[in-house]
Amino acid sequence: MSTTPHILVIDDEPQILRALRTILTQKQFRVTTASRGEEGLVLAAANPPDIVILDLGLPDMDGIQVCARLREWTQIPIIVLSVRDSERDKVGALDKGADDYLIKPFGAEELLARVRVALRHAAQAQGPKTPTVVRAGNLVADLARHVVTRGGVEVKLTATEFKLLAYLAANAGRVLTHQNILSHVWEPAEADHIEYLRVYMRQLRKKLEDDPEQPQYLLTEPGVGYRFLADE
Amino acid sequence: MRRLGFPPPLSLFWHYLLAMLAMAGMTGLLHLLRNVLDAPIVALLYLLPVGLSTALWGLGPGVVASFCAFLAFNYFFIPPYYTFFVHQTQDLLALVVFFVVAVVISQLVGRARSSLAEAQAREREATHLYELSTALAGLRNEEAMARIIAEHLHEVFRAASAEVVVQLAPQETRTLRIPPGLAMPAEKPDYVVPLTTARGLLGELHLWRHTPPLNQAEERLLRTFASQGALALERAVLAQAETHAKVLEESDRLKSALLSSVSHELRTPLATIKAAVTSLTGAGGAWDSLARDDLLAVVDDEVNQLNRLVGNLLDMSRIEAGALQLQRQWNILAEIVGGALAQMRRAAERHRLEVDLPDELPLAPVDYVLIEQVFTNLLSNSLKYAPLGTVIRVSARAQDDDALHVRVSNQGPPVPEEHLDRIFDKFYRVTAADRVTGTGLGLSICKGIIEAHGGRIWAENLPDGFAFYFTLPLLWDGAPPPRLPVESEAV
Repeated sequence: MSTTPHILVIDDEPQILRALRTILTQKQFRVTTASRGEEGLVLAAANPPDIVILDLGLPDMDGIQVCARLREWTQIPIIVLSVRDSERDKVGALDKGADDYLIKPFGAEELLARVRVALRHAAQAQGPKTPTVVRAGNLVADLARHVVTRGGVEVKLTATEFKLLAYLAANAGRVLTHQNILSHVWEPAEADHIEYLRVYMRQLRKKLEDDPEQPQYLLTEPGVGYRFLADE
Repeated sequence: MRRLGFPPPLSLFWHYLLAMLAMAGMTGLLHLLRNVLDAPIVALLYLLPVGLSTALWGLGPGVVASFCAFLAFNYFFIPPYYTFFVHQTQDLLALVVFFVVAVVISQLVGRARSSLAEAQAREREATHLYELSTALAGLRNEEAMARIIAEHLHEVFRAASAEVVVQLAPQETRTLRIPPGLAMPAEKPDYVVPLTTARGLLGELHLWRHTPPLNQAEERLLRTFASQGALALERAVLAQAETHAKVLEESDRLKSALLSSVSHELRTPLATIKAAVTSLTGAGGAWDSLARDDLLAVVDDEVNQLNRLVGNLLDMSRIEAGALQLQRQWNILAEIVGGALAQMRRAAERHRLEVDLPDELPLAPVDYVLIEQVFTNLLSNSLKYAPLGTVIRVSARAQDDDALHVRVSNQGPPVPEEHLDRIFDKFYRVTAADRVTGTGLGLSICKGIIEAHGGRIWAENLPDGFAFYFTLPLLWDGAPPPRLPVESEAV
């Protein structure tokens, strides 16, 4: 990987392209842009980027389809851009291999945070080690030793609670769909029971968050899933 | 069932036979009494069955009876007996006079009878028409009209099958057949009458009745039925046009209310953004960092406001179009409220938000995103009217195990009782529009979302404030909220 990561942005709005190019170039990224899905696929194949930012509402083809076509040959991180009220599209894109999503309008900080998380996870996937200790504020989760502390005090978790936290923490910063979490943490027979996820998530928040009503680390992604926000 | 007085051919034959039998009977009777009775009395007595035959069976049998009487009188009672010869001139005269009188009587009686029958037929016709027009009078819907017309056609004309085809618009043809459920007759209808008005063809009446064919009076009645039906249908067309015009007018009114509200709501944040951004760019970096941050925070707030506005407009149009699709899942209300509070945190900095949600609240089968939207709208409405520093409280209880009862209360001013229902209407405002911001859509969106969930939303004044209430059903397709087994903590 070169020192300046290469980002391919696929969006049909010239103003968005202009803004993203300015923001990302400012942060030392190399930026290529495409305004159509086909064009984006061609560019990605000709000069593989380190990350793809993809708008789901493209004029020539469905963004979800672009995701699927990219995933046929590469695991480079994909962040999709979408509007509110299209949870189905977001979940569809995430299921088809997108790594994360941003709702338009989004802030530059949010975008850059997602880009950093995506790059880190891509690097981890290639590298041999995944971190076994995840920190978020006063929380420390030692995944290898099965120990979770809050402000230095050990927190007792049930087996399922720990499994859930471990999966979220291992994917810290990334959005995980309900389906994704259910299929990794629960038995296949129980993978349709979103209520399990809701209830265990609430228990985890009560044990780990200062204010479970306004969580700082275990965040809800409305209509999509959950995200664990760890220290970077 | 009413029938028109038109005898079928078989009974007509019987009428003639009966007339002749009556005459034969009379002849037999008179023959027995011929020694007691003179010829003139016999002639008079013969007039009796002639008159009766005409009165009972009509003109034809009457004339036949007259002729039979003439022959029998000649044969049995005019000398020479048992021949048709007549010797004396006066007998011949009597015979001729008798015949003429018999025929005249039968004609007079027959005419009276047939004009009575005609009057009765006309009366029945009038009754049928009256019944049809009364049945049609209250209706405004063409389908109901077609059914009534078809039923009357079927009954009055004793049709095997009657059909009314209505075509008010080119692509919209409705067909109503009586009796219903019967397969479409293979052959073409025996009678087809167009339903025409000044506006043109509105449809057709189809009648299947092979025997006997309709007579003139019935055909006339059928045509009158058609014109009655056409008039009624025309009324339906006019009523439709009127309703359509009213709907258009109403949606026009709403559109202009929307436009004026939206353009005001769009322009205010745009003006603020423009002012902030141009002062930042124009000053060439002369602003101190505090002022700069302040201006940028204003821009950020206004952008969020614009985004909420667009979201509200989209939600409203989706609710209006009936295109609101619920993504129901079992949800924890506290999680949804938490999401809404997180969104409102900055706007609510100068109020106190309190949440009172018992831990044992059951899971609710709702659309997370939409219910969160309800909470943000209710909270933002409360923030707008409640005085700074006061408490806004969200609470919920389970009610009878089949509904959640949610309350969002504030310490704001009461709303006049007469406005309480209407605050959920689109663009309805208790306060003048220029004194509060907002599109006037927030609460009507809440109403649309709650009703789509099968719940109810309302508002009440409290002794020390104001509250929104709503209910959410807890049963999902009849199933109660799931309860999960408790898992013990690892040691």
